[in-house]
Amino acid sequence: MKCAWEPFLSVLPPGLRDKVDKYGKDEPVELRLRLGQPAELVMCRTNRSLDKRVTEEDIRYVVNTASRYSPWAASTIGKGYVTAPGGHRIGICGECVIKDGTMTGIRTVTSLCIRIARDFPGIGKEIPTKGSLLILGPPGAGKTTLLRDLIRMRSIAGAITVVDERGELFSSGQAFDTGPRTDILTGCSKAQGIEIALRTMGPKCIAVDEITALEDCQALINAAWCGVELLATAHAEKVDDLHKRAIYRPLLSCGVFSQAVVLGRDRFWRMERMGICT
Amino acid sequence: MYIKLIGAGLILAGCGGCGIRIAMLHRREVAALHQLVQVLDGMVCELEYRLTPLPELCRLGSEYATGTVQRFFISLADAMDAQLSPDVRLCTATVLNQTKAMPLQTAMELENLGQTLGRYDLQGQINALRQCKQSCLNRLKGLEHQQTQRLRSYQTLGFCAGLALAILLF
Repeated sequence: MKCAWEPFLSVLPPGLRDKVDKYGKDEPVELRLRLGQPAELVMCRTNRSLDKRVTEEDIRYVVNTASRYSPWAASTIGKGYVTAPGGHRIGICGECVIKDGTMTGIRTVTSLCIRIARDFPGIGKEIPTKGSLLILGPPGAGKTTLLRDLIRMRSIAGAITVVDERGELFSSGQAFDTGPRTDILTGCSKAQGIEIALRTMGPKCIAVDEITALEDCQALINAAWCGVELLATAHAEKVDDLHKRAIYRPLLSCGVFSQAVVLGRDRFWRMERMGICT
Repeated sequence: MYIKLIGAGLILAGCGGCGIRIAMLHRREVAALHQLVQVLDGMVCELEYRLTPLPELCRLGSEYATGTVQRFFISLADAMDAQLSPDVRLCTATVLNQTKAMPLQTAMELENLGQTLGRYDLQGQINALRQCKQSCLNRLKGLEHQQTQRLRSYQTLGFCAGLALAILLF
């Protein structure tokens, strides 16, 4: 396993770094900080409560250092997360600020969930390297990790453009190997990024993480008609779950993805064929 | 007699030096505030166009200044990169304490600036920078009002005070 461990440690308050470094280095999954509660380190097989109560200053430290003291540069805070150097995603909970019906920020942060970006080179070697592929799984099943490896493998065969909206797949610090022909577009929405990639980068394949909106699906459909292979991930436990959700119906009815990899929480995976929804 | 003459000379030089020093501090204050205005202008442009993160923004801003003001912004960028404090206000206070010879009014403006940096969204941050610039311009207006005459007065007053003391003691 590879992990941008130093960048992860660097966003933690100094009083917590040593403890996390001591216990969490082997199989880290996430670190949870809740105001007034002991910090909780979640590992692959076990959880560990650390001997350090989280203070308001600790939380402020993590949010500010992860965003490099620049709320405007980390506009995703308004969406409830910020991506730290190394591609680690920090989920934020607290008192939201709503402006004109839209969440614009978080006034008082009370909880953080730091998901540690990990890389397992070769994890996707048994998965087909041709055609469009959808990766499905519940949160924490390893969709992003698998996508990262598939991108790397497909980039050997041809140019692949990654629309990395959250900067999680390959963060700007180049924590993980991107593969030889990978172009990365970070910070823009998936729909915008797919359009830019099609127009300007001439990709053989386009990869996006976590399809969550109708416009993402529409952009993927447009790209599929242009003869581009697609790699994408979505939250679902099985293909049938997608049929039940309205935003995925256009994507399924067009038959953009003929196959899906379904990941389980138990680290097992299976391939499923995807029928065309009418 | 010689000793009295030397004493008188020293008093004259001391008082004159005081007058010159006050005038020099005044000039340095004005120059530093002018530089700060330039830095803030540069930061606003950079922020509007590129949404640059704060450490880089300070480093780029430092290029619009020289001397103490430049040193301050470089040190602030370093402090943020080193993640010394949970927020920019504390980083600014630490760096300001370490920066020697920062003119008083400029230091006050920088302290106020530190209260606003990294707290708001893009528009809020730009507004805060513009507000700080306006405050600097107001201070400059006060300092530059009849500046030449005032500086000459400080120096003349110094020399005259020295001369008067020397005459009285002679």
